[in-house]
Amino acid sequence: MKILIAVKQVAALDEDFEIREDGRDVEEEFLIRDLNEWDDYSLEEAVKIKEASSEPVEVVVMSVAPEEADEVLRKCLAKGADRAIRIWDDGLEGSDPIAIARVLAAAAKVEAPYMLFAGVQSSDQTFASTGIATAAFLGWPHAAVVSSLDYSPGAKSAVFRRELEGGLLQEVEIQCPAVLTIQLGINTPRYASLRSIKQAAAKPVEVRTFTDLNLSAGDVGESGSHSRIRRMYIPDKGQAQLIEGDAAAKARRLAEIIREFKGDAA
Amino acid sequence: MSRTDAVTRILFEAFPTAEVRLFYALGYTAIGIFCWGVYVQIRKYRRGTALALEGSLWSRAGDMVGKVLSHRTVNRRDHAAGGAHRLIFYGFVLLFLGTATITLQYDILEPLFGIRFWQGQFYLIFSLVLDIAGIALLAGLLYMMYRRGWMKLPKLDYARTDRALGDPDFLRPEYRREDWAFLWTLVIIGCTGFLLEAARLVWLHAQPQAWDTRWWSPVGAAVAEALEAVGLTAHGGGVLRLSLWWFHGLLALTFIALIPFTKVKHIFTSAASLMVRDPKAAQRLTRIPATQQTPGVAKITDFTWKQLLNLDACTKCGRCHEACPARAVGAPLSPRDVILSLREFANAALESGSLPPEAELGVHGKAPGQVAMETLWSCRTCMACVEICPVAVEHVPIIVQMRRKLVEDGAMDPLLTKTLQTIHKTGNSFGESKRKRGSWSKALPFKVKDARKEPVDLLWFVGDYASFDPRNQKVTQTFATLLHEAGVDFGILYDGESNAGNDVRRVGEEGLYEVLAESNIASLAGATFKSIVTTDPHSYNTILNEYPDFGGKYPIQHYTSLLKQLFTDGKLKVTRPLTLKTTFHDPCHLGRFNKGYEAPRDVLKLLGCELIDMKRCRDNSFCCGAGGGRIWIPDPVGAEKPAQNRMREAAAIPGLEVYVVSCPKDLTMFEDALKTTGNEGKFVVKELIELVREAVSAPQTLAVPA
Repeated sequence: MKILIAVKQVAALDEDFEIREDGRDVEEEFLIRDLNEWDDYSLEEAVKIKEASSEPVEVVVMSVAPEEADEVLRKCLAKGADRAIRIWDDGLEGSDPIAIARVLAAAAKVEAPYMLFAGVQSSDQTFASTGIATAAFLGWPHAAVVSSLDYSPGAKSAVFRRELEGGLLQEVEIQCPAVLTIQLGINTPRYASLRSIKQAAAKPVEVRTFTDLNLSAGDVGESGSHSRIRRMYIPDKGQAQLIEGDAAAKARRLAEIIREFKGDAA
Repeated sequence: MSRTDAVTRILFEAFPTAEVRLFYALGYTAIGIFCWGVYVQIRKYRRGTALALEGSLWSRAGDMVGKVLSHRTVNRRDHAAGGAHRLIFYGFVLLFLGTATITLQYDILEPLFGIRFWQGQFYLIFSLVLDIAGIALLAGLLYMMYRRGWMKLPKLDYARTDRALGDPDFLRPEYRREDWAFLWTLVIIGCTGFLLEAARLVWLHAQPQAWDTRWWSPVGAAVAEALEAVGLTAHGGGVLRLSLWWFHGLLALTFIALIPFTKVKHIFTSAASLMVRDPKAAQRLTRIPATQQTPGVAKITDFTWKQLLNLDACTKCGRCHEACPARAVGAPLSPRDVILSLREFANAALESGSLPPEAELGVHGKAPGQVAMETLWSCRTCMACVEICPVAVEHVPIIVQMRRKLVEDGAMDPLLTKTLQTIHKTGNSFGESKRKRGSWSKALPFKVKDARKEPVDLLWFVGDYASFDPRNQKVTQTFATLLHEAGVDFGILYDGESNAGNDVRRVGEEGLYEVLAESNIASLAGATFKSIVTTDPHSYNTILNEYPDFGGKYPIQHYTSLLKQLFTDGKLKVTRPLTLKTTFHDPCHLGRFNKGYEAPRDVLKLLGCELIDMKRCRDNSFCCGAGGGRIWIPDPVGAEKPAQNRMREAAAIPGLEVYVVSCPKDLTMFEDALKTTGNEGKFVVKELIELVREAVSAPQTLAVPA
């Protein structure tokens, strides 16, 4: 029995970053890379299911990313994943979340898992669409923002809860296989000691190209995407001013400002 | 037979042969049981993992004999107990040697070679010495009884801090019973020895060679006089002598047989523990052997034989219990109880003929004999326990070994988990960008050299707190200014420096420590310098003592000794002496770990400050509570923190003006504790560097020679 998890290596900004020359992303050297936080929780959920199961369960992580993502895949192996798959080809450059979902779905067809987890969103891009789009390509039932899960591997259905506005909980039963996007706080992700990460470095990361998954160049990259990033920039800072003085002076200044905005400056 | 020959004690005098044979049979039985016990104990230690000792066995033995004979370690911080133990020890040793001397003649030299020496003058002096030894033994034992029965010392209270009332191993009355049984047995053996001596004298009153020399055994003679005075006849003396002989003999044989099974075994285990002691036990933790599959200690058999021996060496003297800062503030940790718990576990699991199944060997948990996670995480690795232990029990390495397993399992505080991940990601515990490590230097009017780009005399390893903590940054800038003004050619590693790893290693995250140490060693390899200085005692300790195991050997000093040197060389001059009333807090990693007690005190005196040491100073300095990664673990709400405990101690010094620290973490911990204990405004916490700044004027204000 297999649980497949889509993971992503996300980027966080370092201090004093600079925008790339083409204006569409941050310069590489100012990014600190790590496993997407949501994916940490979905991996933990799968590993917990595996540990609680009397049947053998295989936990497989996959990512659509270049070689540098091996680092987070190894971290997943250190945390209890059994296999790691990385799908990459230069043609995948420029893929939007939908195109990435198409690749993930193709990989899921090959792997044929009982369940597919993804994080609700990635902390760097925040599209929150990859997981759900993957379900659409697979034609599987799906649910987003799962905050607690009751699932035994191989069962025909799973029961989970979602948190709604106003402190409401929704309990849902879903047919398997299904795609669930996992919310933070569903569990407490384990600590991967540096020793276990080093040991995982010896484990292989299986590398595939999109052609291995019977996809064509038109399915991926910019040509397979319906959206593209035009530019990335830091917005002009708004102006804020601390009004000093006693209450009367502050009130006077405030009134002045309001008049200025109304355009009836005295 | 000459007169001299006759002055002796005839062994088994007037004993029927059968009784002599019976005694020998019992004697051999006792020795047999003793040997079996020794075998069981050694088998127990051998069930631990292998460990090769460094250094020659002879120098180790010499060191041990020196400590045992001088009682130096037993005497520390408790001279009364040390003195009493000395009496017991020397009394016991002399009595043992006396018995051995008799055996040497009676069972070996005389039957084999016909040599006799235990007679005449030698015999008389022998009698006198052994009487004195007996008195010493009894006096020591009686004082120990007094301590246990009347003084009610908290350190001899075996109730556990890591268990609650109702837990099966909370009070442990069996320890108390064993203590008393031990004391009483020896007291009775001693008393019956003297009575026996007296009864023999009464019995042999008619023999001048016995009676006329009786005052050579003064206690026996006095008791004999007393017995005669109350009407004991020679015949009665003979009867009494025979029955006492058997009673005394059987009790002594029982005692010998039971040595390996009771606390009496400390005679051997404590001495052995002293002999295998690691002088750098807590300063330099050991690497995980390449062959070891899982890091740290999960099972009792994962401990080394030496650690298992350590467990048996403990005499429950309670000095570690008294010194432990975690215990002092009511945390669920007493180093003594960690050792005793594991000892109980080892005795139950490893003394039987075959090992129990592996599942029953796990030492982590809350069952009797196991050590709870909360206990292990309470430790500050301040080394107070290791340092004071009279018998070289090495608690801290045991605790860190157990933590390594907890880290591997992720069984730790979520904040600690987060911090470790942060350190892995950014190389510092503040989660700041590596690039910002040297940012504090931007505010200075001069440029701090990048030691990776240009050679410097002195490489300054700044450390996390001094680099990133805003309050400590001020101190860091001040120190840089002092170096600059003193004309020292120095530089830093900027973003090439990472957390030195001292505390990461003491948390038990050995893998991350390796990454940090290797990264820093690589950066240091890329810099040109003559020696290192650091403002952080934690970095100082690990670079000095632990980096060599990773191939990084550097001359390094803590800033306190550098400042002292700069004053001695006249590069810094006190222009405005400070007449402040100060006390100095010895940082664990500078003082206890590396014996840097004098330099900071010398600097304080050079500044003109009055120094009043707290009671807990130097080797007995009281940890601020930040060590061993505890700075990254929140303290329980409401409970006293070690730093607060310390502030109250300092506040008791009348007229105290400045509480002087020389460690960035100390500054953080104590400034906080100063406020939370309500002492703000009464005195201040300052870095020694800040006081130096106040006393040393900048060069432009110095008189320029014409």
